[in-house]
Amino acid sequence: MTGIAVEPTVITMAERAASGKRSSDSSFSGTRRLVWLALRRDRFRIAMWMLGLVGLMAVSAASIVALYITPDDLEGYARTVVGNSALIIQAGPGYGLDNPTLGAIVMNETAQWIFIAVAVMSVFMVVRHTRTEEETERAELVRAAPVGRHAALAAAMIGTLVVNVAIAAGIVVALIAFGLPLAGSVAFGASMVGVGMVFGGVGAVTAQVAIGSRAALAAGGVAVGVAFVLRAIGDVGNGVLSWASPIGWAQSIRAHADERWWVLILPAVATSALVIAARALQDHRDFGSGLVAQTSGRPEASPALSSALGLAVRLQRGTLIGWAVGLGALSFFYGLVADQAEQIIEDNSDMADFFAQLGVGSVTDAFLSTAMLIMALFATGFTVSSVLRLRSEELSGRVDPVLAAPVSRREWASSHLAVALGGSVVLTLVCGVAMGSGAALVMGDGDQVADLAAAGLVMVPAMWVLAGVTLLLHGVRPRWSLAAWAVVAWAFVAAMFGGMLNLPQWALNLSPFQHVPALPAASMAWLPLVDLTVLAIVLIVAGLVALDRRDSA
Amino acid sequence: MSSAITIEGLDKSFGSTRALDELDLDVRTGEVHGFLGPNGAGKTVTIRILLGLLRADSGTAALLGGDPWRDAVELHRRIAYVPGDVNLWPNLSGGETIDLLARLRDGGGRRRGQRAVDRTKRDDLIERLALDPTKKSRTYSKGNRQKVALIAGLSSDAELLLLDEPTSGLDPLMESVFQDCILDATREGRTVLLSSHILAEVEKLCDRVTIIRQGRAVQTGTLADMRHLTRTSITVSTDRPIVGLQDIVGIHDVAVDDGHVRFQVDSSSLDETIRHLSGFGIRSLVSQPPTLEELFLRHYGDELAAANGHGLDSEKVEP
Repeated sequence: MTGIAVEPTVITMAERAASGKRSSDSSFSGTRRLVWLALRRDRFRIAMWMLGLVGLMAVSAASIVALYITPDDLEGYARTVVGNSALIIQAGPGYGLDNPTLGAIVMNETAQWIFIAVAVMSVFMVVRHTRTEEETERAELVRAAPVGRHAALAAAMIGTLVVNVAIAAGIVVALIAFGLPLAGSVAFGASMVGVGMVFGGVGAVTAQVAIGSRAALAAGGVAVGVAFVLRAIGDVGNGVLSWASPIGWAQSIRAHADERWWVLILPAVATSALVIAARALQDHRDFGSGLVAQTSGRPEASPALSSALGLAVRLQRGTLIGWAVGLGALSFFYGLVADQAEQIIEDNSDMADFFAQLGVGSVTDAFLSTAMLIMALFATGFTVSSVLRLRSEELSGRVDPVLAAPVSRREWASSHLAVALGGSVVLTLVCGVAMGSGAALVMGDGDQVADLAAAGLVMVPAMWVLAGVTLLLHGVRPRWSLAAWAVVAWAFVAAMFGGMLNLPQWALNLSPFQHVPALPAASMAWLPLVDLTVLAIVLIVAGLVALDRRDSA
Repeated sequence: MSSAITIEGLDKSFGSTRALDELDLDVRTGEVHGFLGPNGAGKTVTIRILLGLLRADSGTAALLGGDPWRDAVELHRRIAYVPGDVNLWPNLSGGETIDLLARLRDGGGRRRGQRAVDRTKRDDLIERLALDPTKKSRTYSKGNRQKVALIAGLSSDAELLLLDEPTSGLDPLMESVFQDCILDATREGRTVLLSSHILAEVEKLCDRVTIIRQGRAVQTGTLADMRHLTRTSITVSTDRPIVGLQDIVGIHDVAVDDGHVRFQVDSSSLDETIRHLSGFGIRSLVSQPPTLEELFLRHYGDELAAANGHGLDSEKVEP
């Protein structure tokens, strides 16, 4: 058991008076212990993040080093990428590709994803150890000990820094091990820590402001999305907007190109400002509540709130709307730049080869199908977290009064599952229509809306398979259900890096998205969709049966 | 008299920890049954088995004539449950939560005829327990969260109430409102299983009591029965000095104090003792039946002693 550690140093009043300083009971007392507590509690999560991100970098570097051997190889890569807006949105401006090195290619292929991943990780870590903690009774125990008012905030930021630095160190070692230059590798590690810490700071602020911890996480997630889009627009355009994005700053350090170390000042200043703001905001709010005041609710329930399904819808409604708005906006943006892909190919034979390899006709269609796959992978985040509501409802004990009513476990689980499955349809449809509308606007082709709506909807069976995997894990043992994220991560790696990493086909096939027809680039294929749906049903039934047989948590 | 709950030889282990060890429990229809025991004795595990949330390893449990695991959904139409540690959905108001839980019991409002009655009862309870139903649950204190669960449970038409330390967060005023509500419930013929630490509450409300310790029922019966098995404290003053008191079997802890003699006597020796005393000319006599607290302490006294480092417990069940 993890005891709540209290500073063991006993300082008498006399000693304190003699020393003339009161450092031992500042508002940061106990920070050191809380950092250890946070790191210990998160040790598995930290290990998974480290394994995933360092592993991804190492494997990417290994395959790129093996793939691009001659200067011609390097030039060939650069020709397919430079100036291609569609790829720039995903990968960044491609610093260093005018005179391509292996390091520049590795950066172009992976840096953007690593930045997004550490941004999300850092928001989650800071909110988890500040606001989420306050919503349990644990934080009160800690605060009742001689622990300062700002200690939890400081500990969350320091803990997040430790994790970011550890991951960066791992990545630097991996890059150097594959023969990439030291300076560029360290620059990348530093830029990654910069992104992580700025978004840790964002999490620290949203934790003070938001009405609850879920809202704080959502606001932090939105901030990551906004940073990505600002940077994407900036990179495609004149570059100004990229300077409004912490992810833009990180790529502007130009690791493995002409490193500009001074840019590191930006994340350092921004993080400090955010932490100072968070500290000031914390002094203006009550423990356990945010600056946004909780308004009163209805004295009586509406007729919709009459069943387990009604409850599941009510609990997840806001989250689903948030995802729909966020992914819808991102999809619309992808649609708007779709025609840019076409313009590149006219004077670029390498690009033509590149897309010919993919076995598709139109570059625009290839871009749109890739964009839709990315949207679907993001939307799967909703699908899985929606099924994981079962876990939080069960572990918090909120499920007990529901199951003590005449509601079977199957009915309860099915209600959240229905939201997850239905929400997957809603999200892919929203993404498809939004992307189609954007594409229709710039191309003057109204058919895009229906075509891309279909491209979105074909993703649904694959998302349902992951819902089924999550349910089965939860049904067998609720503590295991977080492992569903590993499957999502794998689907992401297979989709984004599968080709580059030369992964064996059987490993790629483990991702359900690998079997989905890549509309609109590929032609429709019904059989894999039927197979995936059947697989999803089997997993769901198995999950419900397993849930029925075990003890409640 | 029929039984609402019959448990025989119930076992439940979590890994190597034995939570229930051959537990027996009999709750008769229409009674308020007190379920007493220290923290970790197995009270909550028992109630969670009765709710079908946990499955027993062996032994039998019958709830309103059904199997709590197999027939859970059917049985839950007839019971109401109030947990001791109430966790609510933070963004639902108290009123919404109460209505939701009531409608889940009604099966989504299928039994509309009943709803009107529940409604008055609900509003009445909200007023009596002084709950603001418009507040979001995230802003409720522990006591207020408990009120939400109590109102949802007590406003139902359940035949059987399973209450797991339902008043641990309530203030004394609300505690007395709760006791009134339970007395109302018994007048309506409902059965109550009340797990509690508040012995005064159990003494006031319960017809029968089961004391459980380390997963095993160590004593069960009416309070009168239990008192019969234990000692009564007596303070007496007499015209002539009392002699020979020590020779009576079942007299303990004799103390003489300013003309008064105090001692404890086993219930079985009470008659003999009083006859002996009357031979010395009784001037005044005060007799105090054992309180539940004394009964409780008697069963856990050895645990207290063990905690103090000189335990005599020889047949301790594995922890």
